[in-house]
Amino acid sequence: MARSRRMQRMSSGSNSSSSSSTSPERGADDDNDSFMLQANDSQSSLGMDLSPDMTDEFARREYEERCRVSPVHRLPAELLISIFSRLTANSDLQSCLLVSREWARNSVGLLWHRPAMSKWDCIHNVVQSIRKADKFFTYQDLVKRLNMSTLANSVSDGTLVGMTECKRIERLTLTNCTKLTDLSLQPLVHGNRSLLALDVTGLDQLTDRTMLTVADHCLRLQGLNVTGCKKLTDVSIAAVAKNCRHLKRLKFNNCLQLTDASILTVADHSTHLLEIDLYGLQNLESPAITALLTSCTHLRELRLAHCSRINDSAFLDIPHAPSHQRIFEALRILDLTDCNELGDRGVEKIIQTCPRLRNLILAKCRGITDRAVFAITKLGKNLHYIHLGHCARITDVSVVALAKACNRIRYIDLACCTNLTDDSVTKLAGLPKLKRIGLVKCSQITDRSIYALASGELKNGRRVHGGIHVLLNNCPKLTHLSLTGVQAFLRDELLAFCREAPPEFNDHQRDVFCVFSGNGVGRLREFLNQQKAHAAAAMQADGGSLAGTETNSETGDGDDEGVSVVQLTVQGNHAPGATPVVPTPVPQQGAWQHLTQQGYAFGNAGAGSLSQSAPASTPMFWSNGPAGLGLVGGAGAQGAQQVTGMMGAAILDDVDEGDEAFGEGSEIMGDAD
Amino acid sequence: MAAADVPMVVLQSSDESIFSVEQKIAERSMLIKNMIEDLGTPGDEPIPIMNVTETVLRKVLDWCDHHKNDPPPTTEDDADSRKKTTDIEDWDQKYMQVDQEMLFEIILAANYMDIKALLDVGCKTVANMIKGKSPEEIRKTFNIQNDFTPEEEDQIRRENEWAEDR
Repeated sequence: MARSRRMQRMSSGSNSSSSSSTSPERGADDDNDSFMLQANDSQSSLGMDLSPDMTDEFARREYEERCRVSPVHRLPAELLISIFSRLTANSDLQSCLLVSREWARNSVGLLWHRPAMSKWDCIHNVVQSIRKADKFFTYQDLVKRLNMSTLANSVSDGTLVGMTECKRIERLTLTNCTKLTDLSLQPLVHGNRSLLALDVTGLDQLTDRTMLTVADHCLRLQGLNVTGCKKLTDVSIAAVAKNCRHLKRLKFNNCLQLTDASILTVADHSTHLLEIDLYGLQNLESPAITALLTSCTHLRELRLAHCSRINDSAFLDIPHAPSHQRIFEALRILDLTDCNELGDRGVEKIIQTCPRLRNLILAKCRGITDRAVFAITKLGKNLHYIHLGHCARITDVSVVALAKACNRIRYIDLACCTNLTDDSVTKLAGLPKLKRIGLVKCSQITDRSIYALASGELKNGRRVHGGIHVLLNNCPKLTHLSLTGVQAFLRDELLAFCREAPPEFNDHQRDVFCVFSGNGVGRLREFLNQQKAHAAAAMQADGGSLAGTETNSETGDGDDEGVSVVQLTVQGNHAPGATPVVPTPVPQQGAWQHLTQQGYAFGNAGAGSLSQSAPASTPMFWSNGPAGLGLVGGAGAQGAQQVTGMMGAAILDDVDEGDEAFGEGSEIMGDAD
Repeated sequence: MAAADVPMVVLQSSDESIFSVEQKIAERSMLIKNMIEDLGTPGDEPIPIMNVTETVLRKVLDWCDHHKNDPPPTTEDDADSRKKTTDIEDWDQKYMQVDQEMLFEIILAANYMDIKALLDVGCKTVANMIKGKSPEEIRKTFNIQNDFTPEEEDQIRRENEWAEDR
């Protein structure tokens, strides 16, 4: 025993000076060695047949000889782990596992950190190994992340029960595993003291029983997403809020039974809160929101979409601090979609108290007028994203002022603001950072302003090339393009790439339906490029010059001519009649898509794409550059953020680490301690 | 031939060889940089680099010289580089074409001297040597003795079968 300990010190401590600083991949909690069931086994190989009176000198020579034969032996465990952590394929880690005891010890933790849960064969093998009586390693303690969302609704309690022994899971992601109930989940969280993030989106059979267990056991919890868990009540959510003192990110979307009681408890206890999403909690009243704002001073995102009872008093009642006005410096994102009771005074107070708002969503706050928009202008350059869709009372006067004062606006939506004219749009077209502008059903707007947007002959000298063709070529990730009602595109050769109109459409809707999605977008792009090549060839044959092909593209191909009305939409479900507030993730993000639908499809069962919501209008939703389409496509990780990060990171440009996504996709969730 | 106004430092290897190098090059090592910051410019006093022999130190300083103008790494780079194993720039790849003894000595020295980028290249190099190989091939590559019994090996293989899936 003493001998083997000495040997171990030799091998891992021979470069003692090299200890602490590296091995960035592994946290302090990854105490690998403790996972060996047969602790002494690891050294037995070194033992040879040495007599008990072996001297240190002998051991040293032994060690040196070993290193001479096999130089890799010089590496201490932390460096081996650092090397193994760069192996991305599980099969490579598995090979390392089988090399030797030393290598097994240092690779098994990495392999089991997040076991593969996307195929049934894998799951069966994982569960089998965990439940075995005489297994080689205590695998159940190595699992730190468990994500069953790939198999979603085919996962049953029977499957999850197999993982009950895994008590060190830090991130548990069960998005849309709708068959799961308390039966498997309650025992799984019971006794888990490590859990940091729990995502049970869509588990509508889950009850307070599981959540009360979470409250009793998972005291380190930081992120909780219970979107659509309709059976949960204030009893368990208040208990979680009381006990789990490190909560940072909460999503209670459509937990229809929750009332002020839950939110007041959160306000009282969760002083570290960064994000909270209360989408669709119709029972909530203003005082809960006042309390939340007042006590959670680090709050960055507050989402109250469809909390229809919220009114001005939620903000007007914010108590003054003893000597000065209370200011919420941290708040960046405030979503008040469809908070119909909200009026100008509320908005004025919001702007006063939250001067650093970056994203403000007031879609369908139908009561607000120019007065509110004038207040918003005080946000100045802080404002990046503003949604005023369906705020039909606002006029050019305030929108022009907004464009003047808030010159860093990247995204603005003014859908159905029917008072607006070309004056507004022409002014907005001059915004230097503008990426997207939504003008669906702004019926007074004419070609004049659209050309202003498209050709970009604007005072700041920025040139934007218009035309669908340019748009397609600039936006390789574009996955969905709706040109419904745009005459120039209702041509057979182009409609060949268009997808079928939804069955529930009437004849008129069918006539104007024109949506390109998925492969269709690519094929349309290809087709137009060919057309252009033909045109260019013809021009050359005529002795024409091709100089400045790119800038000529508006005139270079006929397809763009006359296309002044464009609706560019994102794919995904959203409340009928609304323009989408939130960009959807890349389609190939299988697992996350479920979340999107869950997150944004409430009350919208069976609805198709956006074009359905405004099928026969001549809507405009112009994107004037590749950047704007980043919101449609976007990199994989960003896609996940858009869905889960409560939108934050997708829209904030210079987010810091604390802004990262919720749950699985994020490395940040576990930061706190 | 450093110009007179280029600040120099003197390093001493574990086997007492003396190196006179540009301070900027030596400070690729955070160990040295921190020492200088804490103790002031050493002048002619040699900074001892324990645990690193002359041959290895010379090799490490080669790397530092070539990378002396690299921008300091950002945290973002860190997160990125961790994921990709194959991305090693040409010069570094050639630099790492050494025998295994030297390769691991470089890694140990980079770790001890706290030169993150060099450690990174070293770890990537070794990871690339592992990739795609069977356990037996790995043992051969690194001359590692298989200390499992056939039964144990079989047991571990069965318990981790799920990982074979690519």
